[in-house]
Amino acid sequence: MGFSLDTVDHVQNADSILAKFDALIEKLHDESAEEKRTVQAEVKKKQKKAKAEAAEKAVVLRVEGLSKQFGETKAVDEISLEVSTGTVQGIVGPNGAGKTTTLSMICGLLRPDEGKVFVDGMDVWANPAAAKRQMGVLPDRLRLFDRLTGNQLLYYAGILRDLPPQTVRERIVQLSRTFGFEDALPRLVADYSAGMVKKIALAAALIHSPKLLVLDEPFESVDPVSASAIIEVLGNYVKAGGTVVLSSHSMELIERMCDSVAIIVDGKVLVSGTVDEVRGAGRLEDKFIEVVGGKGAVEDLEWLHDFSS
Amino acid sequence: MVARFLKLKLRLLGNLFRRSPWQIFGLVVGFSYGVGTAVAAAAGLIALRLAPVELARDVVVSAGSLIVLGFLLVPLVFGADDTLDPRSFSLFGIPTSKLSLGLAAAALIGVPALAITLVAIAQVVTWTRDAGTVLVALISMVLIVATCILGARVTTSIAALLLSSRRAREVTGLTSLLVLSAIAPLVALAVTVDWAKDGLRVLNGLAGVLAFTPLGAVWAAPAAAAGGNAGLAILFLFIAAAFLAVLWFAWSFVVSRMLVTPERVSRERPHAGLGWFGLVPGNQAGAIAARSLSYWGRDARYRASLVIVPVIPAVMMAALYPAGVPFHVLVLLPVPIMCFFIAWSTVHNDVAFDNTAIWLHVASNIRGWADRLGRIVPPLLLGIFVIALGTPLTVWGYGSADVAPALIGMSSCVLLVGLGLSSVISAAFPYPAVHPGAGPFAQPQSSAGGASWVQGLSFFAVLGISIPSVWLAVLALQRGGGYSVAALLVGLAIGLAAIIAGVYFGGKVFERRGPELLAFTARY
Repeated sequence: MGFSLDTVDHVQNADSILAKFDALIEKLHDESAEEKRTVQAEVKKKQKKAKAEAAEKAVVLRVEGLSKQFGETKAVDEISLEVSTGTVQGIVGPNGAGKTTTLSMICGLLRPDEGKVFVDGMDVWANPAAAKRQMGVLPDRLRLFDRLTGNQLLYYAGILRDLPPQTVRERIVQLSRTFGFEDALPRLVADYSAGMVKKIALAAALIHSPKLLVLDEPFESVDPVSASAIIEVLGNYVKAGGTVVLSSHSMELIERMCDSVAIIVDGKVLVSGTVDEVRGAGRLEDKFIEVVGGKGAVEDLEWLHDFSS
Repeated sequence: MVARFLKLKLRLLGNLFRRSPWQIFGLVVGFSYGVGTAVAAAAGLIALRLAPVELARDVVVSAGSLIVLGFLLVPLVFGADDTLDPRSFSLFGIPTSKLSLGLAAAALIGVPALAITLVAIAQVVTWTRDAGTVLVALISMVLIVATCILGARVTTSIAALLLSSRRAREVTGLTSLLVLSAIAPLVALAVTVDWAKDGLRVLNGLAGVLAFTPLGAVWAAPAAAAGGNAGLAILFLFIAAAFLAVLWFAWSFVVSRMLVTPERVSRERPHAGLGWFGLVPGNQAGAIAARSLSYWGRDARYRASLVIVPVIPAVMMAALYPAGVPFHVLVLLPVPIMCFFIAWSTVHNDVAFDNTAIWLHVASNIRGWADRLGRIVPPLLLGIFVIALGTPLTVWGYGSADVAPALIGMSSCVLLVGLGLSSVISAAFPYPAVHPGAGPFAQPQSSAGGASWVQGLSFFAVLGISIPSVWLAVLALQRGGGYSVAALLVGLAIGLAAIIAGVYFGGKVFERRGPELLAFTARY
């Protein structure tokens, strides 16, 4: 029995030693995992920092405290924005919120009362020559030189941007094919429909391949086919490193196109961020209506249901 | 319903005064002008109370016919305000009869209606001779006001209906210009009639005919009554009433037609290729020059400002010749005067003509001098053409080639100085202009208050800077020889200096004020 007892003792000893080893090994594993995790975290942190720095450098449009007053009303009240290269920034807001005023000041068409706009690091209002060269502009509700034919207008826009005539001619052919207004080129712009005018104005904004596009309501009265052509063109432009700032009333289009969005109400940015951040769980349209505070104000117009005879 | 329209018209008039002080000043000037003319006419009519029936009749009928004609034609020629265009009400579903009554009643509020009412009341005073005559005059008074106001509405609406397409509007603008130019000699002819001697006879014959026309009948009725011819008076009243009825039916018809006629859309022939753009250098100044040239060809507003160019020397010559200025001196006038007006009247408000389309220049941050230079190319070419063609003709008319250098010097000087000054003025002091696509004679919604001093100042500035060259040219005429060459050299030197300075400084102003210019054009 002594033998057997001894054996049992030994086995027990060996078991406990083995268990100790196991524990030790496990501990070692844990420690290495911990170490690995901290290292990984550190690497991640560093990467994040580098990315943030890169983004900081790649801000192509920076708006600082932009303000504009018309008489008594403050149309734009200290708006600030940053747009990184290769992104699409949407600006939405109810009618009269100050979208057009903001975009006009960004692209150098309306002198702000206060604030600064930097395009690619250049101050639009202190150094307009350099800053405006980087921008393509599509204003809303301003006339075009509509006594020119479409062809002449695009050529005019290209030459005013100091492009060589031959280049302009080639680009007119390509742009008109893409946007589908080849047939309209020989007609006067005055005789175009509203959607056609938008398309040709957009083509004029693109013709000098700017770094930044500022588009005020680019999809207004444009048919669905042309709209998807425009979206595709802008998508490729952004992929190649271009940047777009646009305003629209179509939340669907904003959701589809934009990386980030800012909701402007009464001249102030109420919400801004990436589209996902802004819309949260629901649709962008619901968030927009919630922010603007529209739904609560709708009264039930009962008389509307008693039709006049 | 009628009350509603009257209120609307009053509100529209009231809103005219909610503008900038300059615009209100212009409105007040326009208002005083209208009412002042009416008061003067009324004073004349009241004075005729003391005149014999015959004379009063002749004057009242002739002048009255002219007034009615004016109310009928002025809107056709100049285009009238269509703040109450029947088409604006097409979506309200108002019955046509009510709408035409309401709009006609609303037309009774306004400066023209006030003016014609004053005149109509004054003609009652003219005929306060016996009870019957006063009664007829009172009926006439009502008919006069109704005829003039309704007539103007009818022709305005017909004009709006027929001329709704841009192309038609431009063509009509030009036609009316030609009509006006044709009337000018008629007026000149009228002025040459020896009124003191033959005036009464001419007037008498004229009134006799006009009395039986819709234009004069309404004025002739009280006169016939005063002359004791009741039958004739009733006939005249009948003619006038019938004319009013015709106008009323025309008005109802036009309103019902307008309600269902949308604005016309015109198709135009295509313009292949680049046009002027293909002919100019492919740089900013070249493109802007091509744009200006295209606009001069296509936009009636530019042609409208050119029309006075040949008219003014013609009028001056017509005025000076009877005054005893010899013909060979008169022939020297057209070339420099035309150069002056080509340079001064065309481009000194060019930026305002572009309206908000100027954003393209601002957004592209074009070089200011290129903008200025491009814009003066069309008038410069035109001026050079006038000098090149006009100088040999003038030499031929004058009978000696000695005058040629002085003429060229003075004309070029005026042309270049005018263009140089215009380059600065159009960037520094724009004033409201007719909008692109509107009829060339449509007036911008704001007054000419700010415009007149810019025009006046620039007019005298061009003359002032050109004085040395003009003075030398006059000396050349008197003494000949070296003065002629001196006029040429001095004229060219001043002109070139002025145009270079104008383009340079105008460009600087344009670059600095780009956004402000855009904001200015966006306001009107």
